[in-house]
Amino acid sequence: MEYILHLLILIGIYAILAQSLTLVAGYTGMVSLAHAGFYGIGAYTAALLSVNFQVPFLLVIPIAMLFSGVIALAVSVIALRTVEDYFIICTLGIQVIIFSLMNNWMELTNGPLGIPGIPDLTIFGYKFSDKIPFLLLTFSIAGIIFYIIKNITSSNFGLLLKAISEDEIFTQSLGKNVYRTKVMTFVFGAMIASIPGILYAHYITYIDPTSFTVDESIFILSIVIIGGIRSLWGSVFAAAFLILLPEGLRFIGLPEDVAANLRQILYGTILVAVMFKYSKGFVANSKKT
Amino acid sequence: MQILINIILTSFLYFIIIISFTNIYTPSHFFSLTHAAVITFGAYFTYMLTAQAHAPLWLAIPGAIILATAVGVSTELCIYKPLRKRGATPLIMLIASLGLYVVLQNLISMLWGDDTKSIRTWEVKVGNEFFGAYITDVQIIIIAVSLTLFVLCLLFLHYSRLGKQIQAVSSNEELANIFGINSDRVILLSFAIGSALGSIAGILVSLDTDMTPTMGFKLLLYGIVAMIIGGVGSYWGLLGGALLLATAQHLSAYYIDSKWMDAVAYIILILFLIWKPLGFSGRRLKKVEI
Repeated sequence: MEYILHLLILIGIYAILAQSLTLVAGYTGMVSLAHAGFYGIGAYTAALLSVNFQVPFLLVIPIAMLFSGVIALAVSVIALRTVEDYFIICTLGIQVIIFSLMNNWMELTNGPLGIPGIPDLTIFGYKFSDKIPFLLLTFSIAGIIFYIIKNITSSNFGLLLKAISEDEIFTQSLGKNVYRTKVMTFVFGAMIASIPGILYAHYITYIDPTSFTVDESIFILSIVIIGGIRSLWGSVFAAAFLILLPEGLRFIGLPEDVAANLRQILYGTILVAVMFKYSKGFVANSKKT
Repeated sequence: MQILINIILTSFLYFIIIISFTNIYTPSHFFSLTHAAVITFGAYFTYMLTAQAHAPLWLAIPGAIILATAVGVSTELCIYKPLRKRGATPLIMLIASLGLYVVLQNLISMLWGDDTKSIRTWEVKVGNEFFGAYITDVQIIIIAVSLTLFVLCLLFLHYSRLGKQIQAVSSNEELANIFGINSDRVILLSFAIGSALGSIAGILVSLDTDMTPTMGFKLLLYGIVAMIIGGVGSYWGLLGGALLLATAQHLSAYYIDSKWMDAVAYIILILFLIWKPLGFSGRRLKKVEI
């Protein structure tokens, strides 16, 4: 039972990550491989603040979001000078730089040793030390974020985002500020991505840089793409599917290390197969439905 | 002096990776990340043939190049060609190649394990002294091989019929088709050449240092950074890109710490994307500016 709750909490965390990337990659067409970096920034901010300064959880959220947002702003102003495949390479570079900072800046992040002893999440004196309340908290945060992103995407601003992903030059010719909108969306996505990082840090109570690698970014992107890139519910189901899939493999009785490789091989295969479905481009496909 | 030799060595190594990668990139117009797996396969096939099948090195290296090239060619035949026929954009192809890379890299991990392997059976000895610095035999071979490959590629691309066809497909695929050039065949051949060169790079690295299943990805990313810095289209520009990247990395390793080499590579990439998005050879690389 404990284990099932653990998996559900992970699904909640990845669902939030996938939703924020759905807004960035799906609606606005900025396929980013830096998302695990912002997730990591959230986790590290929460860990450092709560271990060193005992900052309460409700204060950590805005600080981490602000911090992640400022970095995303600096990064996106540069990265958004490029488009499509160059943008992916650029975000990949940003991901490597963020990882390299977490891994090498010993004085701040304790490097590969990680930060142990992150206290339990506490709101107004109530400790979320058991799994069930933590699960409820994760799901309610995921629900709030789902609601916010749902509202954004169905508003006029959401229409503008879709227009940008379909034809940037045309959108610009209508007098819309494409560049500013893209920067805003990217920053917002990065701010949201820091929240699951905070939850993860408090939940596992120990973080190290290996949780926020390029592979993690690829995983988050796979969730979004397999979920149907522009579908918020799709990304929730895809997160559940991709997290439960390896557990299924474990029940078949494969050894641990082979199962880990096999899991990645499965993600990769699904990603390639989905690309055949989307071969005309993400947008062309969504027009049909 | 030692640092100068290291810089030259690294830049030549990057340079082979860049020419192998641009060979694929220019006609097919997408970042084929499976190339990283081909580089790694080159090293691991050599390991398989020497350490596991006990073949002599002179036989194992050509064998490994052929096997790794077969991997590269089959990715094109089984995945990229069908995708291109369905009209996939470079972005879609890039994501597909990312998925395929994950598959291949984990296949390598499953077959040979994640630990560091080495094909060096000979004893490590002190290198030859050269103006007060040391250079090993393998490192001399790396420099010689990459210079030879550079000259061969330059001659091939400018003077052979096939090389001209590759250039034609690179600049305009449709027009090349109208002139009776079979673009699928040309892309397949450039995949073969690129994969062979890439696997040679992988083997050279594994002779000089060691191998891990993720070595190819790291090398390829450095190669892509150097390619963007140098600008596609001119081999001299690419050589400059490789030199600049290697210099920056070695200087930062010397003056700061070697652990920041990754970060330095990408900071240079970002600086170039701000001020010189076309690379310093100035050729067109970026998409339409919006």
